[in-house]
Amino acid sequence: MGISTMGWIGRGAAALAIYAVAAGTASAQDKELTVGMASTFATVDPHEESNSPHNAMSRHIFDSLIYRGGAAENEPQLATSWEIIDNTHWRFHLREGVKFHDGTDFDAEDVIASVLRARDKPSQAFASYTRNITDVTAEDPHTVVVETSVPDPMILNSLSRIRIISSEHADDDVAAFDNGTAAVGTGPFKFVSYTPGDRIVMERNDDYFGGASEWSKVTLRMLPDNGARLASLLSGDADLIETLPAEGVARVKSSDNLKVIRGQSTRIVYLGVDVARDQTPFITAKDGSKLDKNPLKDERVRKALLMSINRPAIVQRVMQDNGTVAHQFVAEGYFGHSDDVDEVSYDPEGAKKLLEEAGYPDGFRLTLHGPQGRYVNDSDVLQAVGQMFARIGIDTKVEVMPWSMYADKYSNGEYSVFLGSWGVNTGEVSNPAIAIVAGRDEAKGTGRYNGGGINDPEINKLLDEATSTLDEDKREPILQKVSELTFNHHYLLPLHYENVVLGASKDVDYKPRGDKYLLAYEVKSAK
Amino acid sequence: MVTSIIRRFIQALFVIVAMTVIVFLAVNVIGNPVDILINPDANQAERARVIAEYGLDQPLWRQYIDFLAGLLRGDFGNSFVYGRSALQVILERFPATLELALSALVIALVVGLPLGLYAGLRPRSVASRIIMSGSILGFSLPTFWVGLMFILLFSVQLGWLPSNGRGETVEILGMRWSFLTEDGLRHLFLPALNLALFKTSLVLRLTRAGVQEVLPQDYIKFARAKGLSERRIISVHVLKNLMIPVVTIVGLEFGSLIAFSVVTESIFAWPGMGKLIIDSINLLDRPVIVAYLMMMVLIFVGLNFIVDLCYTLLDPRVRLDAKR
Repeated sequence: MGISTMGWIGRGAAALAIYAVAAGTASAQDKELTVGMASTFATVDPHEESNSPHNAMSRHIFDSLIYRGGAAENEPQLATSWEIIDNTHWRFHLREGVKFHDGTDFDAEDVIASVLRARDKPSQAFASYTRNITDVTAEDPHTVVVETSVPDPMILNSLSRIRIISSEHADDDVAAFDNGTAAVGTGPFKFVSYTPGDRIVMERNDDYFGGASEWSKVTLRMLPDNGARLASLLSGDADLIETLPAEGVARVKSSDNLKVIRGQSTRIVYLGVDVARDQTPFITAKDGSKLDKNPLKDERVRKALLMSINRPAIVQRVMQDNGTVAHQFVAEGYFGHSDDVDEVSYDPEGAKKLLEEAGYPDGFRLTLHGPQGRYVNDSDVLQAVGQMFARIGIDTKVEVMPWSMYADKYSNGEYSVFLGSWGVNTGEVSNPAIAIVAGRDEAKGTGRYNGGGINDPEINKLLDEATSTLDEDKREPILQKVSELTFNHHYLLPLHYENVVLGASKDVDYKPRGDKYLLAYEVKSAK
Repeated sequence: MVTSIIRRFIQALFVIVAMTVIVFLAVNVIGNPVDILINPDANQAERARVIAEYGLDQPLWRQYIDFLAGLLRGDFGNSFVYGRSALQVILERFPATLELALSALVIALVVGLPLGLYAGLRPRSVASRIIMSGSILGFSLPTFWVGLMFILLFSVQLGWLPSNGRGETVEILGMRWSFLTEDGLRHLFLPALNLALFKTSLVLRLTRAGVQEVLPQDYIKFARAKGLSERRIISVHVLKNLMIPVVTIVGLEFGSLIAFSVVTESIFAWPGMGKLIIDSINLLDRPVIVAYLMMMVLIFVGLNFIVDLCYTLLDPRVRLDAKR
C-alpha cells in the first residue's frame, strides 16, 4: 500500500514536471482563453440537446451549413451558396477542400448523415427544426438537395442549428461524443477533454477554413453560481464571463483590468394576460367577491395595466441596465419589426382614466404569477410591477415559484396575469408569434405557450400564410402585421429585452450576439 | 455475531425497499419533466414521442415495476438530461465528492483532535479558551459565507489559490482524482477547508468533552499511581476511550459530508455529486434523482455498519451480539 501510494505520488510529480516544462516553453503566440458560462450543457453530442448553452458549445467544434450571425443573419459556412428549386426543394452547394479534425474530407455524405441523425434522435431535441425535412439527397459529392414536406421558410434557420458531424460517427452514442472519440467536427477548435458539469477544453484547429483562431487553447467552464463565476473573473481565472451578476457590475467597472461588455439580446420578457375566459381565477373585486366578468377581456384595461408600468425605471433600477424597454416581439432591425406598433409610455393618470372608462374606477384585486430564478431578476421585476399596479388602484399580490412548478401551469393558462419570456432565437417574428399568440391547435403545433388563450382569427390566418411563404419580401409585411395586431390590441404586455452583459478582462474584445451565444472564435484580443 | 449481521442485513433491505417506494412516488408528484426538458418549439406529436421515449406514458405502477426490475440488474435507467446511464453520470462525479469529503475529514481530525485534547487537558489555560471560542465561530458561521470570504481573500485579493473548479486529475482505478497533482491540491485546499470548518469544531468539542470525562476515572488514577508516563496515559488510556463517541459521530458525519457538500460545491464550482443532484432536481431529471437518493441510502446503511464494526475493535465490551 505504502509503496503503491508512493508510486502514484511519483507519477503525479512526473506529470507535474512535464506540465511545468510545457508551461515554461509556451510562446507568446500560444494565447489561452477561459470562458465562464452562466448555464450548463449536458453533453458534447451536438444532436442530443438543442438549448442555447449546448448549441453555443457545439459551435466551437462543429460547423453548420449556414452560419448564423449575431443579428440572426444567414451566411455561408459549410454551404457556400444555396437556391430554391421549387416550393419544397432547396439546393445547397458545399464548400470544397474542408477537412474534419481527423483528416477525413467533408462531403455530402456527412451532411446527409448529420441532418438525418438530428431528425431521428430519440430525444427529439431538433424536432422543431427538422419536422418538415422529409429527405436529404446528394446530387454530387458537393451538392445536396433538402426536401421538405411543406414550403418551409425557416429552413435556413433550421440548418444553421444542425451541426455537421463526420458520417463515420453517425451511429455513435452520447458516451462516444463525451469521451471525445466521436467529437470530430470541422470547426475552429478540436476536442481535448470534457468533464461533465465542469468544463470542456479545446485546442485550435490550425487548418480551419475560416482562418485559425488566435486562441491556441480554449476552456469553457460551467459556472452557473453567480458568486463563483464572478470570483473567477475577479481572480483572473476566467478571461470572459457570461451574465455578469448585477452585484458585480460596480466592482468590475472600478477594476483596472476588467470591463463590462453589453449588448441587446433577442429575449423578450412580457406579461401575459388571460383574454379568453369570462371569469378569470385570480382577479376579484377589492372585497374578495367575484367580478361579473373578466376585466382583462377589455382592451382598455390591458392598456391601462401597461401604462401603469414604469418600464424605463424597471430596466434601470431593477434590471441595473441589464435590459432594454421592449414594445414588440423584436427590436428594430430584426425581421418582422413594425414601425406602426403603438409605443405605450408610462402614464399612471391616463391609466386610471382608462380603468374608469372601462367601469373599474376603484380598480380590483389581482394575483400576479411568475417564476423565480428563470429570467434575469424575474421575481424583483414582478414585485416592482405589483407596486406599480397598486398605484392605479389595483391591489396586487405577487406569487413566484420555481420554474419546474411554474412551466406547466403558465403554459396551460392557469393564471390571470403572469410573467412570460421568449428567446426569439430565429431572430424573426413567426417563431414567438406561433408559440405565444397563435390560437392553440395541438395538431398544427401552434400556441403551445399561449397562456393567455389569445385566439384572434386574423393573427391565426396571417401566421398560416407566413409559415408557407418562401418569398422573404412577401413574408415581412405579413409578420409586421402580426406584430401590430398583437401589440396594438395589447394581447401581450411587453416589458423588456434582456441585455447580454459580459464581464471581461481588458485584454479581450467581444461583440455580444442577439442569441447570447459566447463563441471563442469571435473573441479577439484587445489591441 | 453472524445472525446479528444477517438480521442487520435484512433490516437494511427493508429500508432500501421502503426508500424505493418513497423516492419513486415523491419524484413523480413534482412537476412534469417533459415541460422542462423539451424544446419549447416542439409540437404535440414530437412531445408525445419524447414522453414515450422516457416511458412516462405508462401508468405509475408500471413505471415502478420497470424501475424495480432495472434496479435488480443494477440499472437505474438513462438520465433524461445526459442521455446516458444515470448511475454512470453519478459515479463520474463520485471521486470529486469523495475526495472533497475525505480531505475535509482529514483536516477535521488532524486539527480537531490535538486541539481538543489540549483544551481538555489544560482547560484553564488562555490557549484553551481561545480554541474553545474559535470553535464556536466554526459552528456558527454559515458555510457559504465563509466560503465566499475564503475566495475573496485567498483568490481575489491575495491571488494565492484558484477561486474555484477542480484542478488537474490523474486516473486511478478508472476514476479521476485530483489530490495527486499540485494543481489539483491547490484547487482542493479552499473547498476542503471550507467543508471541514464545522466538522473540525465538532471533533474538537467532542474530544475535549471526552477527555474531561475520562480523566477523573479510576483507571486513569490507577495508571498514574502505577507510574506510567503522561504520554502513555494520554495516548493509550485517554485517547482510546474517547475515540468511541468521536468515531460514531465522524462516521455518521462522513455520510452527511458526502450528501450535503452541495453548498461548498456550488460556491467553489466543484464538479461533484451535490451540484449534480441540485441541477437534476431543477431539471426534474428523475432517474438521476432516484439513483442518487438510492446511493445515499446505501452509503448511510453501509457507514452505520462500518461504525458498528469499529466499536468492536476499539472497545471489546461492545459486540454486535452483546445481548447475551
